[in-house]
Amino acid sequence: MEQALESKYRELQAEYHPDRFSGAPDAERVQALQFASLINDAYDTLKSPLKRAAYLLTLRGVDPEEHNQAHLQEAFLMRQMLMREDLEKFLEEENFEGLEKLKKETTGEQVEILDEFESTFNAGDLSIAKSLYNQLQFLFKLLEEINKAEEKLLDY
Amino acid sequence: MALLSISEPGQSQPKAHHVRKRAVGIDLGTTNSLVAVSSEGHAHTLCDHYGHCLIPSVVHYRKNGDVTVGEEAVTFGIKDSANTISSVKRLMGRGTEDIEYDLPYEIANDADGGMPLIKTVAGALSPVEVSAEILRVLAKRGEEELGGELDGAVITVPAYFDDAQRQATKDAARLAGLNVLRLLSEPTAAAVAYGLDKKEEETVIIYDLGGGTFDVSLMRLEQGIFKVLATGGNAALGGDDLDRAVMDWIGEQSGVGKSLDYGQLNELAAIARRAKHALTDSTETQVSFGSWSGTLTREQFNELIDDLIDQTIKACRRVLRDAGLETSDISDVVMVGGSTRTPRVREKVGEFFNTEVHTEIDPDQVVAVGAALQADVLAGNKYGEDILLLDVIPLSLGIETMGGLMEKIIPRNTTIPVARAQQFTTYKDGQTVMSLHVLQGERELVSDCRSLARFDLKGIPPMVAGAAVIEVTFQVDADGLMEVQAKELSTGVASSIVVKPSYGLGDSDIEQMIKDSYTQAADDKEQRALQESRVEAQRIIEALETALHQNGKELLSHEECTALELGITGLQEIMQKEDSDAIREAAETLNEASLKFAGRRMDAEIKSALTGHTLEEYE
Repeated sequence: MEQALESKYRELQAEYHPDRFSGAPDAERVQALQFASLINDAYDTLKSPLKRAAYLLTLRGVDPEEHNQAHLQEAFLMRQMLMREDLEKFLEEENFEGLEKLKKETTGEQVEILDEFESTFNAGDLSIAKSLYNQLQFLFKLLEEINKAEEKLLDY
Repeated sequence: MALLSISEPGQSQPKAHHVRKRAVGIDLGTTNSLVAVSSEGHAHTLCDHYGHCLIPSVVHYRKNGDVTVGEEAVTFGIKDSANTISSVKRLMGRGTEDIEYDLPYEIANDADGGMPLIKTVAGALSPVEVSAEILRVLAKRGEEELGGELDGAVITVPAYFDDAQRQATKDAARLAGLNVLRLLSEPTAAAVAYGLDKKEEETVIIYDLGGGTFDVSLMRLEQGIFKVLATGGNAALGGDDLDRAVMDWIGEQSGVGKSLDYGQLNELAAIARRAKHALTDSTETQVSFGSWSGTLTREQFNELIDDLIDQTIKACRRVLRDAGLETSDISDVVMVGGSTRTPRVREKVGEFFNTEVHTEIDPDQVVAVGAALQADVLAGNKYGEDILLLDVIPLSLGIETMGGLMEKIIPRNTTIPVARAQQFTTYKDGQTVMSLHVLQGERELVSDCRSLARFDLKGIPPMVAGAAVIEVTFQVDADGLMEVQAKELSTGVASSIVVKPSYGLGDSDIEQMIKDSYTQAADDKEQRALQESRVEAQRIIEALETALHQNGKELLSHEECTALELGITGLQEIMQKEDSDAIREAAETLNEASLKFAGRRMDAEIKSALTGHTLEEYE
């Protein structure tokens, strides 16, 4: 699936990239610029599971950002809080292994929720799918922060 | 043409395709510049009749208006340094306040921009004008080789060049009468030079250690497309630092210490450079300075420079991490820049990536060669399969939001061309003008990012705060140049600019900016929380003041009114403190205190809507 996306992306850029129109009239070059930008954007959206989930919801008329936290279960939020506490603790202790473990945990949970998203979305249960998407937002944000913390410890 | 249906049949091929286009690739370097041409997929650099291919990036100006470039200008530099300009690339797209190092010539400020002007006997000159002189000489060399006026040129820029620096480079080319087919990042050009007759799929590291800068790029070649996955480096690390390590060693050994004058330092630098070069082929070399002389072995030299090389390896590690890859994923490592001739550099880089590094093409010429290959393709001279290059934006682009915060709209390492839109709302009731401040950088505070442009979106219809929605679109083209467009969505008031250099930061500051964004992330977070709390508090105060002014006297008792006014003053005092929690709490308290007032205003408005008007008024 990923290979198909990659391949299609390259095929389209090979055809529409502005470099293919370097001798063309201005109007065509402007349009090539817009096409190539759109292709890059589409690729970005489809490649990122989070953006892709949001896009799928939008296609079905669901605003993925509406009341994005209001309906999340207390148990989920509680666990998020604990994971964040771990993150801060590991960063303070400069515990890289701890961060790696937390990262694995977060990624594992992401995969689970993505699977769940896929099945509920396909079953047409959009309100549950949306709530799963909002959970994913939390997990991606957390992962980003774990990465930042790791980079800080690596002194990048 | 598949892209546009409006072109008439036959119209899109007006040029006879058997006429070969004259195109060159130009490496406009800090120290030296080169020009190369390509034909049928084979490129070579152009040399003068002495066999010199590198043209020193030095320009000399005379009173009578004569300009000399290259070796000849270097000779003038010795006796007339005030009118001899070198390393002008460091000034491209920079502001006067960015110049922190000493220059042998005088700098004046441009009247309407922040551009530095160099004072010479031929008048005050901008870095763009000086660069154009170098480009003219390179173009002439190309014209002589190809036998006529050039149709186009590909000019290379460092991967880390921001919008202002790229724009300045393109302006210089235009000034020199060149048609720029593409601004290409230097590492990408180097990859092209190596990449044509290679395997179908590969992941490549381009390691570029120049005189004063280090650049590393990670690219993937697949289906004839080179895509930059991540780029990084250190804009304040290069071959000069290797020389400095040797200088320090000589200073220590000879006991001359730090009490050297300018001339002696220059001499010492030249001796250090010669020693470094000698150790490329020999295992030891004789060094003498003043009355002192000694032997520097390659082993000793390696020890002196290992820390510096380790810093470049760290940047490589970071780029791998950005792309989510391991060293084992890398199939080839390409060496660029004169400093990669140092055996220790090759050895350590090869060790890190566990592969033999590529040095087959002269590391000083590889960038120009790649640029020439791509210039030939872009000019329309077809041979076999064309390669396509997808570059990335090196630094995040964003906009200033309330409270001096930078909101990222396009993150760094995003493939270009790219267009991204973001919506903003008005902040005050009846606001008709919105100022946009475009920034580039990685930090959260505006003051830590590079300011690219400011412009006003005028004519927003007066509405209550938050009702007008302004959509700001950033369009970055394949050269990495940006255009910003803003539009008020309910009325379609459009305002568009092409960002021009205003003022900014030095190369080392760019490196610092990326670094700081990580080391000071926590600090930023606190700052951000503080700024946000102040913005929110200010918003509440302004809304309340407006409301009090409108109908506070009618709807509130004197005591209620005073209480709210006191609440405003109290909050304003707390806002001065560096405590986001306290500000947030106080703002919340004031907001709650004003709820009753808000309720009465609402009732009053409904009442007046129901009783105060007749239907006819609305017709």
